Amino acid sequence: MVDIGLFTQIVINGLLLGGIYVTIGVGFSLAFGVLEVVDFAVGEYVMVGAFAGAILAPLFGAEGIFVIPVVLVGFFALGALVQPFIHHVTTGDRPHPLLMGLVFTFGLATFLRGSVLTIFGPNNRDVPSSLLTGGVSVSGIGTFPVVRTVTAVFGVSALVAFIYYLYRTKGGMAIRAIAEDRTNARLMGININRYQSIAYGAYAALTGSAGVFIGMTFTANPGMGLQYTAFAFFMVVLAGMGYLPGVILAGVVLGLTQSFTAVYVSGNLVLLVLFAIIYLVLLVSPAGILGKGEWAT
Amino acid sequence: MTAATSVLDRLPGARRYWYASGGVLLLAWPLVFGPFWARIGLGALMWIGLAQSWNMIGGYAGYLDFGHGAYFGIGAFAAGVAMAQFGYPFLVGFALAAVVATVVAAVVAIPTLRLTGAYFAIATWAFAEAIKQTALVTGITGGTFGLSLPRSPDSFVGIAAPFPISEAFFYYAMLTLCVGTMALTYVLFERREFGFRVKALRDDQDAAESLGIDTTRVKRQVYVLSCVVAALFGAVHAWYIVYIHPNDVLAPIITDRMVIMALLGGLGTLTGPVAGGLLVFLLERLSSVFLGSTTFYLPLIGTLIMLTVLFAPSGIIGILRGEVDATDIRENVRALKERFNLR
Repeated sequence: MVDIGLFTQIVINGLLLGGIYVTIGVGFSLAFGVLEVVDFAVGEYVMVGAFAGAILAPLFGAEGIFVIPVVLVGFFALGALVQPFIHHVTTGDRPHPLLMGLVFTFGLATFLRGSVLTIFGPNNRDVPSSLLTGGVSVSGIGTFPVVRTVTAVFGVSALVAFIYYLYRTKGGMAIRAIAEDRTNARLMGININRYQSIAYGAYAALTGSAGVFIGMTFTANPGMGLQYTAFAFFMVVLAGMGYLPGVILAGVVLGLTQSFTAVYVSGNLVLLVLFAIIYLVLLVSPAGILGKGEWAT
Repeated sequence: MTAATSVLDRLPGARRYWYASGGVLLLAWPLVFGPFWARIGLGALMWIGLAQSWNMIGGYAGYLDFGHGAYFGIGAFAAGVAMAQFGYPFLVGFALAAVVATVVAAVVAIPTLRLTGAYFAIATWAFAEAIKQTALVTGITGGTFGLSLPRSPDSFVGIAAPFPISEAFFYYAMLTLCVGTMALTYVLFERREFGFRVKALRDDQDAAESLGIDTTRVKRQVYVLSCVVAALFGAVHAWYIVYIHPNDVLAPIITDRMVIMALLGGLGTLTGPVAGGLLVFLLERLSSVFLGSTTFYLPLIGTLIMLTVLFAPSGIIGILRGEVDATDIRENVRALKERFNLR
């Protein structure tokens, strides 16, 4: 017999989690569209973001949420400076440029994970947040944990701002043009270095700040990155590579899958279920469940 | 005596003495330097062999397999289950590792090799994680408790051994496997027509197909071969290390190391994985000995990968062969600076 109260609670938790995953997925998908590289460092940006929250929070009155502006600016700068390297390895006359791009981000991921592990040790760290504790009960539906709700609200508003930039401003148009065809965009007089850096910086900023929220919701651990890399892959594979609207659906599916698997099957099997789904989607419908992404071959 | 010299005469040029003394050093290593250095040596040999096995699919065929470590674990657990759960001697476990890896790789190859590039990387990576999660929840692999293998210093599961099952024994086992892997790679990929087919499909799949190469078949063969080699190393490693746990033998770091060693040495070259394997393995050991830190090699390795990809995509071997020199690096730096022109 399915407990209906538990069921709605799982749906709430899943949807709220999905809100923050969408933030990661949209940035990741955009980075793929613009740079044509699958960024293995995505989960490590989440992890570094969570650690930034844990380390910097004491400077901001022990409130993780006040670190967000710093993380946004810092990660934007970081991403803007990393992008030229990725652009360099994926172009030019080296053999197998796309594989080289993949391997480069793989090296970056190893570097970030290893640095944090070496500097701060392997232990969990909490991102303090006394403002965001407890939950709001809505009778007849369930409890909305404050942290997760604020996280989801942040995720959705960051997403809306980002989509607005992308579809309603000149800079966003330039980025979409680059994603469409880099050479032609360049011929139209777009400074591709600049807009690629903006796109990658925005992606790093979104992912890093999502990391702070994830740190507040769960905890910060040097090994957590791999899981979020897996989640990001899951979302873009489900959505179809480079197809942004699909990512929103995929993020929600991810949040729900995670909370349902954790409750009804086993917390240990969440990743296994996700991987099984990734594998099936890649094999059955490589352009994503909506069939609108770039064909995966 | 004459037989030995005639063999030496057939080796190329003045280098034959280097080869001969290298061979003697490898054979005498554990007897001369003792068990500690034998352990270091067998670790290096294992990683060189594993890097070479990854090089087959990743370097020669150009398919970035980010789940290759899964086969190391599959080999380890196949041997482990045969020895610990059923009490078979090691050789049965060794054979079982080969059989299981062949079957799994052949089945996985059919759908997975339809994907290329990043998708292949993601799919194999997902496969490896799924295998790890499965090993953690199934009973026969010991689940989260891991498996302890029976091993006694003087007998093969009941049968008295003619020599002690010691560090030196495992050194020679790894040496045999590693040299076998090297020889197999040399013959198959550098000498036989098979190697040319593989390289052709890596460089241009359509062109290879138009020349009548059955690329699907060749890809599957390379994949299965490289996976089985990794599994054999896994089997010997399991017997040597005695206790295996999914978080150790199926850890993603195993794949990471293989990729890094092959890449750093030089993808698609016979000697690349040897150079890269030695360098990375020693770097890891030395950093843990001298810096007292077991994780410091990670950022070091990450930096090395990034620098290699940026400035010397053909790896150490590329630098040694003179494919990459100071001019190339200067040119690379100049091109990279241009990318920072953000205004």
